[in-house]
Amino acid sequence: MKLALCRFFTVRKVLSFLLLLSVAYAGYGIYYKVKYWGFTLSPNALTDVWTVEAKVSFDAIGGDAKVSLAVPDNKDGFKILSEEIIAKGYDVSRDKKNGRVVLSGKDKEGKQNLYYRLSIYDDAQYQASGMSVAAKVQRPLLTEEERGQMRKLWDLSKLQKGDKVQKIISIVNQEIATPTMTPVLPLNYTTKEFAEKIIQILAYKRIPARIAWTIKLEEDKKTDKPDIMLEAYLDGKWTLYDLNTAKIGLPKNWVIFQRGGVSLLDVRGGENSKITFSVLKTVATPAKMAEYRAVANDKLMGYKYSIYTLPILEQNTLKWLMIFPLAILVVVIMRNVIGVSTMGTFTPMLLAMALVKTGFWYGIICFSVMIVLGLIMRAVVAKLNLLLVPRISFVVIFVILLIQALTVVGYRFNYAVVSSAIFFPIIITAWIIERASITWEEDGAANTIKEIIFTLFTAMVTYFVVSSEYVRHVMFAFNELNLVILFIVMLLGTYTGYRLTELKRFAPLAGEDK
Amino acid sequence: MLDWLFNGKKLRENGVLGMNDRNYSVIAKNNKRSLYVLVDDKVKTKRLANSININTPEMIGIIEHQYQVQNFLNIIKGHDTFVIKPAHGSGGKGVLVIKKYDGENFYSASGAVLSFKDIYQHISNTLSGLFSLGGQYDVALIEEAVNFSDVFANFSYHGVPDVRVIVYKGFPAMVMMRLATKESGGRANLHQGAVGVGLDVQSGLPLRAVMHNKPVFQHPDTKANLMDLRVPFWREHLLIGALAYDMTGLGYLGADIVLDKTRGPMMLEVNARPGLAIQIANGRGLKTVLQEIDLTYPKGLSAEERVDFVLNKRK
Repeated sequence: MKLALCRFFTVRKVLSFLLLLSVAYAGYGIYYKVKYWGFTLSPNALTDVWTVEAKVSFDAIGGDAKVSLAVPDNKDGFKILSEEIIAKGYDVSRDKKNGRVVLSGKDKEGKQNLYYRLSIYDDAQYQASGMSVAAKVQRPLLTEEERGQMRKLWDLSKLQKGDKVQKIISIVNQEIATPTMTPVLPLNYTTKEFAEKIIQILAYKRIPARIAWTIKLEEDKKTDKPDIMLEAYLDGKWTLYDLNTAKIGLPKNWVIFQRGGVSLLDVRGGENSKITFSVLKTVATPAKMAEYRAVANDKLMGYKYSIYTLPILEQNTLKWLMIFPLAILVVVIMRNVIGVSTMGTFTPMLLAMALVKTGFWYGIICFSVMIVLGLIMRAVVAKLNLLLVPRISFVVIFVILLIQALTVVGYRFNYAVVSSAIFFPIIITAWIIERASITWEEDGAANTIKEIIFTLFTAMVTYFVVSSEYVRHVMFAFNELNLVILFIVMLLGTYTGYRLTELKRFAPLAGEDK
Repeated sequence: MLDWLFNGKKLRENGVLGMNDRNYSVIAKNNKRSLYVLVDDKVKTKRLANSININTPEMIGIIEHQYQVQNFLNIIKGHDTFVIKPAHGSGGKGVLVIKKYDGENFYSASGAVLSFKDIYQHISNTLSGLFSLGGQYDVALIEEAVNFSDVFANFSYHGVPDVRVIVYKGFPAMVMMRLATKESGGRANLHQGAVGVGLDVQSGLPLRAVMHNKPVFQHPDTKANLMDLRVPFWREHLLIGALAYDMTGLGYLGADIVLDKTRGPMMLEVNARPGLAIQIANGRGLKTVLQEIDLTYPKGLSAEERVDFVLNKRK
């Protein structure tokens, strides 16, 4: 029984299971962060943040003034980052029933300027709303001639594509310049008149329709004319239509200020009221937006305990640390699967990390120069027969002085290649020099150079994996992946297959006759 | 050119033991970590070996502290040939063989003439851990030089020819002889260019020889035919290996044995992680042998019985 259990719970099986678990966890983590925090796989993804400002101005006629402004609803396509009302001397309240902002001031006289500012991001898919039920529509009172035109239009529209409303919008757009339409619409009609005409045509068939006030988001836009769209009640829900293209729904980068047929702006106690919209576009990194998104998605708790809320300095340190597991994985693969022997286990990894900071060629050249100078110096010192610890200490101090000299020279003469010396880990460099010089004495120059080349080669492979900005971003943003790496490394600890280099080493034993 | 990339299947069929497999399936399962200290320290190994009557070179003295180095000349008084080695050394690093001491100069086996100052330096380096694994503080062991048997004179260039016996669960599993060459600098390490001659466990006869992984038939320096190599006291060699298991408890070990002119086979050291090049020298995979031992060899035998079992086993 115990034996059976042992066979079932082999180290490899347990580790494979844990690896699977960690993959599932990482998968969920990535899904979660992308969905609720808006993290992206690409390091350079930016979020557009639109700031829409509605400026209401009017001349107060003395006495109480009351302004009622329709404002966008959180549900209508966009997420609200911040909302701000600047209205000095006005009480701000919200009409809960229809979401309008109501500003009331006492004893106002003269020019009044009130501002409503909204920052929004992430336009979501527009959804038709089935919330409010439309009242029955009265057929408009029409003359016989007008009725004829209506019938004609409805007949013509049957050949158009889409639902009834789309058909009507298409046909009116097509027929607009023809004699059929001239009596219907004036020559210089406004969008509003166009919309009202469509509403009238729809009313003829008792289809409820109304105007929606929207703003198309364009960079540095300034207008006093909101973009008008049409809402029609069809099949039990209110649907939005574009008056030019007859397309259903809210186009991208479009925000609805007001829907439901009521006016956009009502001013009591003032005249010459006017509303001006200005639009400004800024960008933000996903990291910056993560908290807002976490709040918007009600996932703030998880966010608070993540590394992304740490001060930026700590975050940068962690970002640096988060690539180490991947670099370690590369080293493990290079050593235990490929079978490359290197000086020191993690020396290549630390070299690779230094290369990330210096840049590849600069780092390689500078490092080679340091090793060569160090080896020459070490050969000189070898004659003095110093004891081991003082001798290594000598090499360490020599490397420090060398780095200092190279950095100063590099800076003075503006050779970045020279000054990149400062990024190399001192102890590692010193140990490589010491190891190399001992190998040189004991196993000859060929073996030493072979060992250095293998070490550098492993460092290069590691470098090419970790130097990608993309990889670094992913390992930091989706740090659950480190758990996956942990179990891969552990599972590799049970790998008993041949190393790649052993296939060559043992080639004499691969004969058929044996 | 790249045919070797597809060797995996054949190697597996031939039972070749790879490094990962050795570490994971053989060493980790058979060699308890706590037993390593017995073989990592040559002084300990020597005392242990002597306690169960395994021959080793006589110990002349040990130097444990720096201040004792000055005492060196007193320690070696009466000896004009001796070996200085680090107790924690590996791969023959830091081993200094003195062939002759004329009261002033020391003549090393590799032909160098050294002064006391040089020796002093060498011992100091040893104590500070230059040759030890991981660089920890070490002890210098001074022992009598082996009076090498002449039977191998033609097969080795300078240096020490030794027999490496791989012992698995107390049974000698695979044997090779390592012959120093000019290229290996008198050392018996295969990766430094020594010749490895695989020897049949039962008969002690040479199977094949390799140098740098390639088959050779002649010693590169002495031109001796390697197939003429004969190892006297074969049973005693195997017995030392089998006793090394009783002495250390290591399930997988490599015993290094040299042949002294007067005292016969002597154990130089025991290795808890013997290398895998022996397979190439024998032209045979080690895993097959280990599996055979696991599955078919009897348990509970004494060292003598194990050696006899191996020697009399039908092929």
